[in-house]
Amino acid sequence: MGQESNQVDTSLELNTERPLEVKKNNNLKLEIKSQRRLKLQRSLKPFYFMAPALFIYLMVVAGPAFYTMYLSFFETNGINAAGKVFIGLGNYIELFTNDSVFITSLKNNIIWTVCSLAFNLTFALMLALMLNRSFKGRTIFRAVFYFPFILSNIVVAMIWVWLYHPNIGLFNEILSVFAIEPVGWLSNPDLALFSVFAASSWQHVGSSMIIFLAGLQTIPNEPYESAKVDGANRIQALWYITLPLLRETYIIVFATTLFYSMRVFDIIYAMTGGGPSQSTQVLGSWMYYQTFNHNNVGIGSAISVILLIVVMAVAIPYILWQQKKSHV
Amino acid sequence: MKKQPARVLFYIFIITFGLVWLIPVFFLTITALKSNGDLFSNPLYALPSKYHFENFIEAFNEGNMIVYMRNSAFISIIKVPLGILVAALAAFGLTRLSFKWEKPFYIFFILGMTIPFQACLVPLVIMLTKANLMNTYVGLIFIYIGFGIPFAMLILTGFFKGIPRELDDAARIDGCSDLGLFFRIILPVAKPAIATLIIMDFLATWNEFLLAQIFISSDNLKTVTTGIMSFTGEYSTDYPLMMSGVLLSVLPVLLVYIIFQKHFVKGLGGAVKG
Repeated sequence: MGQESNQVDTSLELNTERPLEVKKNNNLKLEIKSQRRLKLQRSLKPFYFMAPALFIYLMVVAGPAFYTMYLSFFETNGINAAGKVFIGLGNYIELFTNDSVFITSLKNNIIWTVCSLAFNLTFALMLALMLNRSFKGRTIFRAVFYFPFILSNIVVAMIWVWLYHPNIGLFNEILSVFAIEPVGWLSNPDLALFSVFAASSWQHVGSSMIIFLAGLQTIPNEPYESAKVDGANRIQALWYITLPLLRETYIIVFATTLFYSMRVFDIIYAMTGGGPSQSTQVLGSWMYYQTFNHNNVGIGSAISVILLIVVMAVAIPYILWQQKKSHV
Repeated sequence: MKKQPARVLFYIFIITFGLVWLIPVFFLTITALKSNGDLFSNPLYALPSKYHFENFIEAFNEGNMIVYMRNSAFISIIKVPLGILVAALAAFGLTRLSFKWEKPFYIFFILGMTIPFQACLVPLVIMLTKANLMNTYVGLIFIYIGFGIPFAMLILTGFFKGIPRELDDAARIDGCSDLGLFFRIILPVAKPAIATLIIMDFLATWNEFLLAQIFISSDNLKTVTTGIMSFTGEYSTDYPLMMSGVLLSVLPVLLVYIIFQKHFVKGLGGAVKG
């Protein structure tokens, strides 16, 4: 930036033909100008550094998300098909009035979310409370519960499909020991979603547990000490101190669990493919099948937009809250 | 003394949970080591009557697992450093150059973390088809970097903000340019955050499925996750071989996890603190 202003100065010095007054006047004007330019360049500097990230992010994430919204107002058959017919909210109306699998998907997403929030979070909190005490082998237990989270959804799906195998899978084998009829874990439409959910819980409880543990570590010791002085027992301390003080952690775990539950795809795709008889479809998978198998690109886009709106309705307030929190 | 029974109960409780949690992995391992005949003639929970380590070699060579794992390794080696560099530059511009619109831009980037891949798929397919980049690593890596930016920005801006300003001032007095400041001061100081990010990013890349499924179609270009899907389809009756393949695909991830365990907790902690 310094170079720039030097150049301006030298060009001025060479300019000796003009009268002194004008030159002075000019000098002042140019100085203001160059200062302004300097300021502009300084305020542009962050953009130079952000340019690559901004470019890629706009091309891959932000731009396509807006284009999908645009596409959701059209009827197209095929991703690269030429013909596009504007039908306004037609796709949305079609989804809510005529597409029973979409309704199932929406319902399944809600069931999945509620179960995650109710079951996974409770269990994760319980584990975190147990593992927050100091005892021998604590780190090993943490590692054991967290480790499924590092596996890919596909691997988890493969393992659990094997455990659920109708004839020689572990669960039915155990049932047969007790002379119980084999259960169609993944073939019974009423049960399949919950079977997949169990596999997913096995994978995800550990990550919520780690967040709870991080939250527990931020609680200072003083409240416990004064509670002890007041003669509170452990359960009272848990109920009146620990659980209320984890308020912020609940919001974080709640939000991350909700984001995942709405976007769940891989594990359903790999374990059931949405079946049997579409009973385990979720928005993410139904969008995939509508778009890439049935070529209903407009319908698929509308499903993604609905998914996006639901997620954003939680994400935007959540991120603003986080922002506020980090500046206090 | 009085607490002893409670303590024993606690141990019984937590050890039971721990063992239950390990059951799937235990069965994965013993299935992978059995022969197909052994599997069908004996109960599933019986230990293998003979250990067949050659299953792994078979999965590796005939099941193409070696190709899939090499592909995923290649993609990760390119994607992870490149993605982190791009995000680090942006985080630097955002936090250390007294940027006026720091907050809105930060939120704009971070919001991307919550956008479902599905919301971008169709336009990306159109774009990559037009650019002739379908079924290439250039296209896939470009998309991976794009979706990786939000999380990397979250971790890096958080860390960069904590670096004292005095470091910048001292460097500038010594005549450091912006780029010099970035490469010689900020990046080295941010090493712990970058280490965490490298590990998390590697895992995310190694485990990604949907994008690889859509954008890569040739079998010899497939990644571990998409490869294992076609692998298990191919050997759908040979469970031991299938499970050996699954176990093989997990090994690199497991190795990284065991070596860098501390970074995981830190990484998640960082994400929590925002």
